[in-house]
This record gives sequence, C-alpha cells and structure tokens, in this order.
Amino acid sequence: MRWITKFRLRVRSLVQRNRVNRELDEELQDHLERQIEYHTARGMSREDAKVQATRDLGPIALRKEECRDARGLALIDSVRQDLTYALRALRKSPGFATVAILSLAIGIGANTTIFTLVNSVLLTPLPYPGAERLVVLREHKLDSPEPLNVHPLNYVQWRAQARSFEALALVQMPPLNVMGKGGAEQVSRMITTPEIFHVFGVRPALGREVTKDDGRPGRDHIVILGYGFWQHWFGGDPGVLGRQLPTPDGSLTIVGVAPPGFRIGLAEPEAFTPLDEHDAAATGSRSFESYGRLAAGVSLETAQAELTTLVAALRKVYPAVDGHMGVFVFGLHDFLVRDARPGLRLLMAVVAVVLAIACVNLAGLLLARGLARRGEFAVRVALGAGRGRLVRQLVIESLLLSLAGGAAGVAMAYGTTRALVTRTAFALADATTTPIHLDARVLLFTLVVSTATALAFGLLPAWQASHVDPQSVLRDETRRATGGRRQFRVREILVIAEVALAVVLLVGAGLLIRSLNNLGRVKLGFEPTGTLTMQLFLGVKRPEARIALLDQILDRVASVPGVQAAGTIQFLPLRGMNCGTGFWLEEQAARRDSSQTLATGCSLVSRGYFAAMGIPVLVGRAFDRQDRMESPRVVIVNEAFVRRYYRDGRAVGRRIVVQWSDEVPAEIVGVVGDVRHNGLTTDPSPTVFLLHAQAPGYITNLVVRTSANPLMQSGAIVRAIHEVDPTQGVSGVGLLEQDVEKVLARPRLQAGLVTSFAVIAVVLAVIGLYGLVAYVVRLRTHEIGIRLAVGATRERIFAELFASGVRLVVFGLVAGLVTAVALRSIASRFVFGITTTDPLTYVAAALTFLVMAFAAMVVPARRAAQVEPITALHLE
Amino acid sequence: MTKPSNLLQGTLDLLILRTIQLEPMHGWAIAQQIRLMSKEQLRVGQSALYPALHKLEQQGWIAAEWRVSEMNRRAKYYKLTAAGRKALKSETAEWERLSAAISMIVKPA
Repeated sequence: MRWITKFRLRVRSLVQRNRVNRELDEELQDHLERQIEYHTARGMSREDAKVQATRDLGPIALRKEECRDARGLALIDSVRQDLTYALRALRKSPGFATVAILSLAIGIGANTTIFTLVNSVLLTPLPYPGAERLVVLREHKLDSPEPLNVHPLNYVQWRAQARSFEALALVQMPPLNVMGKGGAEQVSRMITTPEIFHVFGVRPALGREVTKDDGRPGRDHIVILGYGFWQHWFGGDPGVLGRQLPTPDGSLTIVGVAPPGFRIGLAEPEAFTPLDEHDAAATGSRSFESYGRLAAGVSLETAQAELTTLVAALRKVYPAVDGHMGVFVFGLHDFLVRDARPGLRLLMAVVAVVLAIACVNLAGLLLARGLARRGEFAVRVALGAGRGRLVRQLVIESLLLSLAGGAAGVAMAYGTTRALVTRTAFALADATTTPIHLDARVLLFTLVVSTATALAFGLLPAWQASHVDPQSVLRDETRRATGGRRQFRVREILVIAEVALAVVLLVGAGLLIRSLNNLGRVKLGFEPTGTLTMQLFLGVKRPEARIALLDQILDRVASVPGVQAAGTIQFLPLRGMNCGTGFWLEEQAARRDSSQTLATGCSLVSRGYFAAMGIPVLVGRAFDRQDRMESPRVVIVNEAFVRRYYRDGRAVGRRIVVQWSDEVPAEIVGVVGDVRHNGLTTDPSPTVFLLHAQAPGYITNLVVRTSANPLMQSGAIVRAIHEVDPTQGVSGVGLLEQDVEKVLARPRLQAGLVTSFAVIAVVLAVIGLYGLVAYVVRLRTHEIGIRLAVGATRERIFAELFASGVRLVVFGLVAGLVTAVALRSIASRFVFGITTTDPLTYVAAALTFLVMAFAAMVVPARRAAQVEPITALHLE
Repeated sequence: MTKPSNLLQGTLDLLILRTIQLEPMHGWAIAQQIRLMSKEQLRVGQSALYPALHKLEQQGWIAAEWRVSEMNRRAKYYKLTAAGRKALKSETAEWERLSAAISMIVKPA
C-alpha cells in the first residue's frame, strides 16, 4: 500500500507541477503572515515585523528550491534543462549533428535490417500451437552426419514402441495428377498417415482429417484439399465436401479442407491423400519423411536417446534395411533453418562491427567537440556544476543523437528489408515460415541497440570532459595545442581501432567475393543455358505402360521444332535430392552378399538425357532406343565411379550388379563426365546411371534442350505431351539456369551484403581518419604558421602531417590483418576454392584501404601546408 | 546556510512527528509548538522545517490537507499517517537508545 501512496505523490508532483508550486508559494506566504502577526502581537510595528519575519524565513526562492528538492522534483527539472540544453547545443552545430545522426542511422539501420531477417527466420517460432515440440526424424548412416529419409518399416516400429512422442506421422510428397479444364495438371500432394494434423496441432478448415481406415486398401480414394488449392480451384466453395476430384485414373472423394498456411517448409501441399503404411512398409524404400510431436515434458535429448536405443535393437531385426543406420531427432524449426543460420550469424557479426565503427567514429568526434567545449564546461564547473551533472549532460546529448539515429535507422531498415526480401527470395525463402517484416521485437531491439550505442560512444568523451580543471582551462593559453594531449592519444587509438575493424571486414568481403567468383566458375559438368525442365508424374501404371508412355512423350517432344534433345532424370542435379545404393563388381556379384556391397550414387535416366543436359560421353556410348526391357541390361557410370572402382581406368564392357528393384547383372556401356549433383561445393561422387526403359520409375523430370528461347518453347512442349496423353500432368516448368541461380543465391546475397557493409565500414573509418588529421591541422595551425614564418618548407610541413596519419593507418592496417587472420575460422564455412588466408585477398584489402586512407589524409595535410603564415598567426 | 547534519535532520523528523501526533497542524504552528514544548531551548529554523515537511510527505509518513484556519485563512495542515505513526514509534525508540548511549559517554561515571 505504501509504495502506491508514494508513487501517487511522486506522480502528483510530476503531473501537477504548477499546482504543487502554487501550493508551496501559498504555504510559505501563510507562514510569513503568521510570523508577522507573531511579531506585531509582541509589540513590533507592522513594518519592523515584516522585516523581521522575512529575515526569519530567509531567501524564499532558496526555501522553495529546498522543498522541491525534498519532493524529488529537482532531478526531473534538471534533466529537462539538460535536454533543452542538449537540443540547443546540437542545433548550434548542425554539421556535427548531421554527420553523427547519419552514421548512426547507417550503423543502426544495418543492424535493424539484419536483425529483421534473423527475427523472422530464426527467432519467430513456426506458426503452430506448441511449435517447440515439433520434431523431424531422419535416418543417417552411422558413419555420416548427413540426414537421410526414413524407411517406413522403421517408422512403424518407432510409432509402436517410442514413448517420447505424442504423435508421429509418416509422409511422402509425390505429385498428384488432376484433371483440369485444359487437360491434366500436376499438383503438389502429401501422402500421409492419419497423425499429421495431430502432430501439427491443426484442425481441418472444413470436413474431416485423414483417418486410420482411409489408409486401408480399397478405401484410399479420398482427398483433403489444401486451403490455397481449394480457394483457386473451387473458389472456396464450402459445398465442396462429398464432391469428386477427377484424376486421370478415376476420381477422389473430397472429405475435407486443410487449414490455411498448413505446410512444412516452403510449399503448402495442394492435396492430402492417405498413406497405406502396410503397403509402404512392405514395398517402400528409404524415401519417406517423418514428423512428430514430442510428448509433454519430453526433451529433444530424451527422444533422441530413446530412439537411439530403439534403432540399435531394430538393426538386429532388419539387418538388410538398417544394417548401418542410425536416427536423428531434430527440432523442426532448427532443421528448416539449418542452412540459413550460419550466414545470418555472420551477417549479424558484420553489422555489429559496422556499428562499432560508427560508435568509435562518434566517440572521436565527441572527444574533439568536448575539447572545443572545454571552456564552456570549465565555466559550468566554476559555477558549481557537479561532475555527475556534466556527465549526465553529455550522455543526454549522445542519447539524443543515437535515438535520432535509431529512428532514421528504422526508417532505412524498413526500405532495405523490403528491397532485400524481394531481391533475395531464393536465398532465404526456404527457411522462412513467416513473412519478413519489422515487428515489435525488431523495434525493441533497435531501441536497445540505440541506447547501448549512446552509452558506448558517449561515456568516454563525457568522462574526459568532466575532468576539466577550470583553473587551467580558463587561463586561456593552455586551451590550445597542449590542452588535448591525452584526449589526442585516445583519439589516435580510436582511429587505429576503426581502421583495424574496417580492414577485417574488407578482408572478409574479399574472401566472400573471391569464393563467389570461384563458385560461379565451378565446372558444373552440364550446360545449363537453353535448357527447360519440368516435372512429370507418370502415374500408377504397370511398368510396361510407364515405359511406353515416356517413349512416346520423348519422341513427340523431340519432334517439336527447335528442340535439340530431350530426356528425363528422376532427381535433377542441384535440387538437393539424390539417391544412393550399393552394387557388386562382377567378381563379387555371384554371392549377392549385402555386407559386401560398394556404395554409389544412382540416377534413373532415359535415353536422350545426357544430350539434353550437355553432359559429355567420354568413353563408349549413351543410352539409345535399342536398350529395352528385353535387351541386355546396360548402365553408364561417371568418371568418379571409374576413378574409385577401376584403377586401370577401363570400365566399358565390364559388368556390375546394382541393388535396385531387381538385381540383374548389367554391362557398363559408357562413361560420362562428372556432374556437381549435390551442390557446387561438393565434389562429384561415383554415380551409376540406370535406364528408365529397363527399370521404370514414377516421378521424373523432363529436360529439353532447345535452340530458340526455351521459355517460348515451353507451351509447345507441354502441348506435345498432352497430344500423347491428355491426362498427363506437367508441373514446375522452368529453366535449368534457375537451378544454378538458386544455388548461387545465398552465397551471392552473403557476399553482396558483407561487401556493402565493408564499404560502409571503410567509408566510416576514412571519415574518422580524415577528422583526426583535420583536427591535428586545426590544433597546429598556429605552430605551422610560426614555422612557415621562420623558414620551414611547405613540403616538410605536408610530409610531417601526412606521416602522422600514415602511422595510424599502418598500425590499424597491421592490427586489422592480424585480427583477420586470427578470426579466419569464422570464414572457413563460407570460402570456396581459396584458403581463409588467401594472400591475394589480404593484399587487395590492404591496398584498397591504403588508397582510400591516403586520399583522405592528403586533403587536410595539403590544406595545412598551404596556410599563409600571417593568417595562421592572426587566428590567435 | 549549511544544511542541518544528519543527526539533526533525523531529530527534526522525530520532533515533527511527535508534535503533530495529537492533532494536525500547519507549518508555523509546528515551529512554535516545538519552541514552546522545549521551553525555548529548541528553535527550528524555517530553512529546515519546510524541506523536512515536504520530504516526510513524499515519504508518506505525514499527509497534508488544506483547511480553513482561525481567521478564515487557508493553511496547509499536516497530520500523521498510519505509516507515520509506526515510524514515530521506531524513531522514538531509536532516539532513546541513542541519547542514552550518548549520555553514558558524556556524563562522568
């Protein structure tokens, strides 16, 4: 209760200042009157009594001040005074204020921009209830940290035995062919076990979820529409339940609509259909994904530990499937942002350095300003201002600056964030679940940063300024050159620090640019220009039908004018999908011992694929139409395969047995060039190419090489496919070049941003350097005048001033290069094709900085050397 | 114009609290009352009285209200609050302890 009263009184003192003051007047006046009466009652004349009473009371103004002090009003009043004073001081030097606010705006704006990205990508939880309990399960080879997909056999066991999960779902994402108005269309689809809605804690917007019975054979002709799909395909018609969704081989009954925005990662599935898990477990492969919701109170570690134990047991139950496999449990959010995280961390560090430089710069400026204001401070100290009061005054000034800078920074960040988001969709999109925008957390961040900034650059100068000795300062003569000796040392150190930080960023930017350059020059192993890709789902048909269908499509597409070659592959390079299997060399093939297999990547392709991709056939031949189901089994391998498994370099004509749907000996008929299938920075791995016509697949990508503008051809190509089969769905028509662009997007964004920030850092550091040299010149103009008057040459003066700057630059440069080397491990994740101590980068960074720094120093040094002695002396 | 020392400051608080314990008073009356009760031994300088009153009010030990006094004049009356009553008790005890201690030292044995 008491603190409430206190608080109320304090607030009253604050809010009703005038009233409180009036009452104070009245009270003291009343006292005076009574005192007068008291004296007159004792026989004094009215006049004398008045004089006596006034004397008793003492100076009224002081009494009031004391009372106001007692009420705690004084602090507020003096802060108000400081604020007004600070505003006036800043208005009086608009140049300083502009430079200060602008550089703070850049520093804070950069931080806000990057924090906006970090906030949206890393800090904002997934938009599902209890999102922190969502996990993704992945299998992995025991000797590799690379997460692989899940085998349904294992999923069934996990779900049956693991106690750590409230729900566990198994999904796969094959597309669905749907009959639209203009022929078949391919839409994205999630085949799922019933748990999926429970796992994500969502309910259908309409109708029902997938149930356990839906997955049973014969019952699986139902579909739940994705919200977006329902909106654009059915116009959001609520009467859609019970209607049929036509597909090439019949139709599906619509039983529900998923809630809006329900998706895992980037894509919102357009349809959900039930997964027959018994069929999957029996015939499936390691090509499923599993998502779970942790049971209440169960940690990720507990779940991981339980599954690790479980999997160890399963290895004995399914030695063929689980022989060398383990399992990972990842937090879903962490898993989705795992690729974006390091880059964002790097950027966050970089902008922090930029801000640090801006702070150091401002500290330098404020020190100089403090020196110029020594007279003013000395007068205030002489008049009785306390040291604390002076420090407060200066900190309020810096707070004012940094809050103005922060406001400008937020405005700037608003613009840059929007620009970044539109320009860099590829680089960040797969990691974001919420739109990237400024929110309350970002604004709070900016406020904190601004305040911290103000303290960082404001305290040192404030402390320095508060240590003025009024006597010596007011004895005017010491105000000049010697007065700032110590402050000057501090400023030198600040400038050296600035230079060093800027050089570190410059080196970092150099490393990223060189790496990006190397990435752009990586030999992909295929020719991306002039090539069109699209996805085909051949549908659930008998193998012969799928072979025949693709044969016809390839023939028909090849006859479209302008098409040079056409072929298919199950997983396109650079899409983050691959497949691996084992094989036996002919010598070991007889026993089919699965513990003796060799590892290889595998790609299921059609004839025409290598020509369409521009992959060279180095030895032997490519697949052709003579290779059929009934003809001898053939495979093609890449160079890496030959290097690894055939020391003598001769592969063509030899036979291997690949672990695939059937294990038939196949002859290697050709060797093709290596392709960077798994990313630009990953070396090509041994790969065996199997032929669709001998081992038909379901999902595939058509690759078409054209002579004309490929996108102009796309319509004709899709029409050609529909001429073969109007029920064939086609989706994801795009250019092969876009795949390469996507892979380069993130390194490009990182290099671009780090370089921009490095440039800003260098500019700020150079401004700081310029400021210091100009300041030295101003301090020494008098001295220079004298020296010129007594015969010093201008060249000598120039050289001396210039050298004083060079000293700082060299110190800073060396410190920066040393720091960069010390921090090089940070960059190791981001460099490619060079080492983190790449000499060229370091030399280039050093030279770039030197040129800019010298340019900045020449100007003031020259100006000083051009001084007319007579004007310099007049300045006194 | 030096401010009263801490001891005096604290003592003045105690005197004020004690003075208005029985009935609310205005500032001038408090000063008079202290003077009279101490048989003219203690004179409270006005320089100390009002800041002390305002401080006590801010602390919540005393509360102020404007009342019409004898000659139809408005005056600011101070009275003890519940917290002030508690404080008076503990301050009195504190004072007795202190003065006893001091007299033990000052008086010859």
